Amino acid sequence: MSDKIQAKARELLESGQVSCFVGYEEGTRGRVRPAFVYDAQDAERLIWDDRCTHNLTVYLHQFQGSGREEPPQVGIIVKPCDSRALNVLLHEGQVTRDSVYVVGVTCNGVRVNGQPQDRCQRCAERVPLVYDLVLGGVPKTVGREDYADVDRLEGLSPRERLAFWMREFDRCIRCYACRQACPACYCSECVAEQLDPAWMSIAIDLPQKQFFHVMRAYHLAGRCVGCDACEDACPMDIPLSLLNRKIAREVETLFDYRPGQDATTPPPLATFDKEESIPL
Amino acid sequence: MNVTTRDDVTAWLDRLAERFTLIAPMAVEEQVFYRPVAGSAEIAFDFVRTDLPVKEYFLPSTHVLLSIGRDQGEIHVEEPALDGERVVFGLRPCDARALHVLDALFLEDEPVDPYYAERRERTVLVGLACREMGEACFCTSMGLAPDDAGDVDLMLTEIGEEGDGAAYAVQVVTEKGRAILGSLSLEGVEGNPPAPTVREPIPILEAEAWPQHFDDVYWTRLGDRCLSCRVCTYVCPTCRCFDVRDYEMRDRSIERLRAWDSCMSEGYRRIAGGHNPRPTKAQRLRNRFYCKFCYYPQDFGPVACVGCGRCIATCPVNVDVVEVLEDVGAL
Repeated sequence: MSDKIQAKARELLESGQVSCFVGYEEGTRGRVRPAFVYDAQDAERLIWDDRCTHNLTVYLHQFQGSGREEPPQVGIIVKPCDSRALNVLLHEGQVTRDSVYVVGVTCNGVRVNGQPQDRCQRCAERVPLVYDLVLGGVPKTVGREDYADVDRLEGLSPRERLAFWMREFDRCIRCYACRQACPACYCSECVAEQLDPAWMSIAIDLPQKQFFHVMRAYHLAGRCVGCDACEDACPMDIPLSLLNRKIAREVETLFDYRPGQDATTPPPLATFDKEESIPL
Repeated sequence: MNVTTRDDVTAWLDRLAERFTLIAPMAVEEQVFYRPVAGSAEIAFDFVRTDLPVKEYFLPSTHVLLSIGRDQGEIHVEEPALDGERVVFGLRPCDARALHVLDALFLEDEPVDPYYAERRERTVLVGLACREMGEACFCTSMGLAPDDAGDVDLMLTEIGEEGDGAAYAVQVVTEKGRAILGSLSLEGVEGNPPAPTVREPIPILEAEAWPQHFDDVYWTRLGDRCLSCRVCTYVCPTCRCFDVRDYEMRDRSIERLRAWDSCMSEGYRRIAGGHNPRPTKAQRLRNRFYCKFCYYPQDFGPVACVGCGRCIATCPVNVDVVEVLEDVGAL
């Protein structure tokens, strides 16, 4: 599988079809990390295995430049969940489809520190939804989202639930790793850091942490594809996916909408139909 | 060496907790942090290193420097009092060295930071030597050792078996350390604590050799991968940048806050008028390494890295300082 990716990247770079290929490489200490290959002869660095957890679509923004000139062509590897993030970016006009050569990979789930990921066990998409080329065998397993953990949390009283989140947010250090690892968090100036008006103080205290995480979760409503890049990046092991999936379920229930299924269906929170009303 | 038992140490810590604010490693969920503890029962003795360094007790992530209120036309300026006398127990040698690195800027260079100085003055440091180096540790490359007693007031080294049956060799390093020894029962025993298991150090480029590599494309390529988050700087025991801002509170009083800031953030270097001298993440990442290994040693003396490995362990995209040091050495 790695050799097929290497061959494709080599071909794209040699032909000049892309100027950079974004994939995965062997890092230090047994870790895998994002790789940026500019030269066909470096394509041999590229690998693919179940340690390739990063959602590489977060990097597409850095190739878009100022918007004044044509962006360079980029090749990129996407897993099924990443492909949904790419659809969100395409739909929101952050990336143009013809500037990206998408190598989709079928996926049987990834591992972090050797552990199979919860999100992969819940994942029903084993083939990318947007691609120019798909590599990999027929996927073996298909998971199912049952929101069991969200249900468990919702079984708690509001007071207990608040206590749970306050305990989790308390460990936050406002490092913004969650935001920076998120493909959908691409604002050039985040509410959390805006100076004028200053919505939030610079304090790294519980009220700011709570505000930041709740605000981010709301901004991702109908946009988060559940790739869990935020949770993987968090140095404090805060279960951010739980927050995101609570909102994802609400959006799914109310609007029968899952983000990233295609690049054309308008997301419910970005549209307004004067006939629509939500029974309260 | 002077030896004491785990039971005697816990009893001693319980007595200390009555007189001082005792700050010690505490298990929180799956992690370990330095936290104020009520007694020894809350202390985690078995850990590689804490997830955050001890710097938050000397340069807190948030600190109200002063508050300004108005009362019947009179303006009052209040400076909140700092914590009382403190003992930090279970300090790893790298974290203790990091305080010495910070001293070079905050204490030994004018102007002295009065808040840091006061907190430092009011705190006794009790070290706990490492038996071996953790997976991401490279303290030996930064000129210290897992059992380095040079930067603490008292040093405890675990000897014999691990766990509750452990005994400790106690080394008095400073008078401040001797003063809190109190009634800790010590038994004189022949010999020395066993040496920790160490890894070979890697060579570190001298500060003077860094500028010639400043424009190398290496930094651009390394920056490709960087997410420009703040993890590395906030888990770092020697990163010390802060921001100060004034806020109007609900009761119309003003609070002047000092909070951690990070050179990894885009707005960090932005100046009036909107110009940003370090607009790219690659420039910001390069700056972090230059700050640690070139600018800080040139400006203040010590290298601003102690080899704790926290940035290695937490970077979401595997920016590994040991690899960077090896790469830069080979440029």
